[in-house]
Amino acid sequence: MFTMGIDIGSSSSKVVILEDGLNIIAAEVIQIGTGSTGPKRVLDEALSKSGLKLQDMAKIIATGYGRSSVEESHKQISEISCQAKGVFFLVPSAKTIIDIGGQDVKAIKLDSKGCVKQFFMNDKCAAGTGRFLDVMSRVLEVSLNEMAEYDSRATEPATVSSTCTVFAESEVISQLANGVAKENIIAGVHQSVASKACGLAYRCGVEEDIVMCGGVAKDLGVVRAISKELKKPVIVAPNPQTTAALGAAIFAFDEVIGANK
Amino acid sequence: MSRIETIISELSSISNNPKKAMEDYKKETGKGAVGVMPYYAPEEIIHAAGLLPVGIWGGQKSISKARAFLPPFACSIMQSVMEMQLEGVYDNLEAILFPVPCDTLKCLSQKWKGTSPVIVFTHPQNRKLEAANKFLAEEYRLVREKLERILDVKITDEALTKSIDIYNENRKVMREFVDIAAAYPQIIDPIKRHAIIKARSFMEKSKHTAMVKELNSELKSLPVEDFTGKRVVLTGIMAEPNEVLEILKENGFAVVADDLAQESRQFRNDVPLGPDPLYRLAKWWQEFDGCSLATDAKKSRGPMLIDTVKSSKADAVVVCMMKFCDPEEFDYPIYYRQFEEAGIKSLFIEIDLETTSFEQTKTRVQSFSEML
Amino acid sequence: MTDTSNMSAKELLGFYQEELYEEARRAKKEGKLVCWSASVAPSEFCVTMDIAMIYPETHAAGIGARKGALDVLEVADEKGYNVDTCSYARVNMGYMELLKQEALTGKTPEKLEKSPAARIPLPDLVITCNNICNTLLKWYENLAVELNIPLIIIDVPFNHTMPIPQYSKDYIAEQFKNAISQLEEICGKKFDYDKFLKVQEQTQRSVAQWNRIASLSSHKPSPLNGFDLFNYMALIVCARSRDYAEITFKKFADELEENLKNGIYAFKGNEQKRVTWEGIAVWPHLGHTFKGLKNLGNIMTGSAYPGLWNLSYTPGDMSSMAEAYTRIYINTCLDNKVKVLSDIISGGKCDGVIYHQNRSCKLMSFLNVETADILQKGNHLPYVSFDGDQTDPRNFSPAQFDTRIQALDEMMKQNKEGVSNE
Ligand SMILES: Nc1ncnc2c1ncn2[C@@H]1O[C@H](COP(=O)(O)OP(=O)(O)O)[C@@H](O)[C@H]1O
Ligand code: SF4
Ligand code: SF4
Ligand SMILES: [Mg+2]
Repeated sequence: MFTMGIDIGSSSSKVVILEDGLNIIAAEVIQIGTGSTGPKRVLDEALSKSGLKLQDMAKIIATGYGRSSVEESHKQISEISCQAKGVFFLVPSAKTIIDIGGQDVKAIKLDSKGCVKQFFMNDKCAAGTGRFLDVMSRVLEVSLNEMAEYDSRATEPATVSSTCTVFAESEVISQLANGVAKENIIAGVHQSVASKACGLAYRCGVEEDIVMCGGVAKDLGVVRAISKELKKPVIVAPNPQTTAALGAAIFAFDEVIGANK
Repeated sequence: MSRIETIISELSSISNNPKKAMEDYKKETGKGAVGVMPYYAPEEIIHAAGLLPVGIWGGQKSISKARAFLPPFACSIMQSVMEMQLEGVYDNLEAILFPVPCDTLKCLSQKWKGTSPVIVFTHPQNRKLEAANKFLAEEYRLVREKLERILDVKITDEALTKSIDIYNENRKVMREFVDIAAAYPQIIDPIKRHAIIKARSFMEKSKHTAMVKELNSELKSLPVEDFTGKRVVLTGIMAEPNEVLEILKENGFAVVADDLAQESRQFRNDVPLGPDPLYRLAKWWQEFDGCSLATDAKKSRGPMLIDTVKSSKADAVVVCMMKFCDPEEFDYPIYYRQFEEAGIKSLFIEIDLETTSFEQTKTRVQSFSEML
Repeated sequence: MTDTSNMSAKELLGFYQEELYEEARRAKKEGKLVCWSASVAPSEFCVTMDIAMIYPETHAAGIGARKGALDVLEVADEKGYNVDTCSYARVNMGYMELLKQEALTGKTPEKLEKSPAARIPLPDLVITCNNICNTLLKWYENLAVELNIPLIIIDVPFNHTMPIPQYSKDYIAEQFKNAISQLEEICGKKFDYDKFLKVQEQTQRSVAQWNRIASLSSHKPSPLNGFDLFNYMALIVCARSRDYAEITFKKFADELEENLKNGIYAFKGNEQKRVTWEGIAVWPHLGHTFKGLKNLGNIMTGSAYPGLWNLSYTPGDMSSMAEAYTRIYINTCLDNKVKVLSDIISGGKCDGVIYHQNRSCKLMSFLNVETADILQKGNHLPYVSFDGDQTDPRNFSPAQFDTRIQALDEMMKQNKEGVSNE
């Protein structure tokens, strides 16, 4: 039996197809999110890669920022619950989840059964989100893929302290103008993202194991900075951008077999 | 339409259209209205003058003109109030009563952009001292004098005493309503509940009392049905716009009690008895507790909320945090810790009167309902 | 005892600041009482009772100026303090949290160990006064409940109508009495009214010397740069009821007068334009703001903020003391606020005004547009405003500041070339 989880985020669209609630048949990502062609494209891609049809799905659950616009889905579940479900499936020892996506940062606390005990989200501004990293990557002319590598070569991390993205941009530009190495600036950018996420994590109460997911978890510079700030190891969920879609697919499976709470 | 539906629809239309409520009042009585800024102004004095006190609560709005006069970090409600001042929305009010219990209101009291005269007064904050009552009674005396002068009326002690009685009656009926509503969440959903309460900001109170009284007894005659959703207590300045309440409703939440400045905080306490009506009104402020705007060395808000959760058998508290409201933001870390210690779950949502996108709120509320 | 007789004013400033912190630490060790106080709360009562005083706003400013704010701000953030609330409060709540952790566990948290500011002891009581803002009420409520200690409130109601009515002064004077009985209970001893009178007199002598310094910026060229006042402010806050403040300020005023006589001015080179700075300093970027102005040939000769401590009153007269504590310009109506600022601008013979749009301080930001507008209609001086924050370094952009003050500089130049205001 196949189930599907669709996670339409603010910045990317993700689909996971699951067989019998255990085997991941497809896990696809398109780096554009709600309101774009992303949702359709990612769905097509997942189906064509797995050689399955929509009708093969016993149940489809949508999650993410754009979850209500997914016509194919039978149900919607919030991405908080889905992240928890997906991450717990992959890392059963997870107690604290940090999800950094395109426009929000979430810290989620789990109990030992993987249920959500508490969660906090950023408010008001883009500080500490993927959007912030996107802006910095553009200003610095360093692609997102390369950010972690630059960071690892930093000798003396700069401080990028401005909360406001516009201010931070001008802060970074003036550091560039003053000849501060990109490596050091990027380490500072990562540090600034980490500090925002850790604030939320502390509010939840940090308990190990700590697992990171969301697109930004692919930037190991951020992961290192968070680990340093929390003074604790941080595990990156396998294929971290698709964990919420995975969670949705598991929920779908549970519902089909009637194992839901 | 059933009687219940009729009453609710009437009150909802008043709560959605204060302007019309004012016009109707004028048609009926020939008298005008006085604006009442938040929070806790002695409306009874306006009532005793025979005018209609009208609450000023801003509204869902995109902000443009106000940007010139307020930086982006001013609270959302005052951004919208400022925008509406600049649009002339409040210019048909005979006067504006303007208390200043927070830094934002102190500043705003000095920059009214409409044409109506503004009467500012200050609530004392060392509230438990007898000297505070004396001070506030004196402020109220001046408020009365200024109103008399502007409106060219005499506000007698007798009239004031009568108005206090009418207000106390309304407070009592509202407390009853809140309790009854909690038992009938299928009928009184979060949106209706809010409208019924908000209507009192724009109505002559004895009228409001009569309607709510009738509603109460109609409701009580109905059987109580099982409610499968979650029961929550709201805390904060206010829970608007309706989209927020809609999201709560969609996720199966019933509001069984509230600690909102726009709602229950106003009628939690009666004005106490005594010979001098102005002194009685002042004394109300002394006895009032559990609000971010009423300084309290004991900070009883958290414990009071915990009691409310217990007595209303609520499952959780929803914190409706007005964007950029520093008094409320200061209370949050303390009561949040107290909730944690008491094992009470809480959800933090942001109240923004400008936004038209509620995706984040939806995510939070949905996640919370899945978590409970 | 250290011999202070040969110290310069600057040395005295450093010495007494450290001394005050040391006294507080010593008091704590010896089991005596320590009080944390709002910066313009009456100090007279606690000093009469020999209670060691700590002023969190000054302490927070010190942390900010030494670039240590971020660490403690994060602690406050973790406790759920919104980043929009006053950063003095957040720095202090964060710091208090670290002190509390230390007291509970016996282990010094790393962030506390690393903090560049003076170590301060936890308070046994706190005293607050809302003459500069109501934020101080919320902040101190939280301190009192987090530490489970007594809170003394001096509420000075916002003066929406000037002059200040007698019933308001009566209410404040009643609170003075109440504060005294609260203290008698906390200290377990009677309040010494003779000593109180002496403390009041001392406060007046300190304030007189403070005002003497402030008045020197009216000279053109000026022997005093307003930025110096920002630094010396520490003692008018923390020691106005002690002779530390009087001694230091007298010394500084003497030095400045001597300089004036010898033609030594604050601006090395030629002061070209004089500006008023409305609002609190940007502590973490104090150097940047100071140098930015200096490089354009500008000196700051006007600031109403240090005037908050112009607390002159008649010792022995509670009503007069009440008036001094409530008449502070930001606790009064817009008309009076404008009047006070207008005097500052003309007293400092300023050519322009800089408004600090302070992300932390709603009270000192939300009337800036109106204030600037009214003032300009009267004095035709150019003004700019910039976004900043007194202790959260994240809310200030050096680039924006530079552009704004350069624009001001150009406007002032134009103004001077067009109409000479000599
Ligand atoms: N290869 C990558 N390396 C580093 N960061 C990445 C990479 N791909 C995406 N990101 C970051 O992830 C963010 C999107 O995260 P995602 O979890 O997909 O967001 P959402 O769920 O809100 O759509 C982007 O804004 C980007 O900053
Ligand atoms: S109490 Fe809060 S929401 Fe109300 S005016 Fe003051 S800051 Fe704004
Ligand atoms: S900075 Fe403003 S809000 Fe903060 S304590 Fe000072 S006056 Fe109050
Ligand atoms: Mg996401």
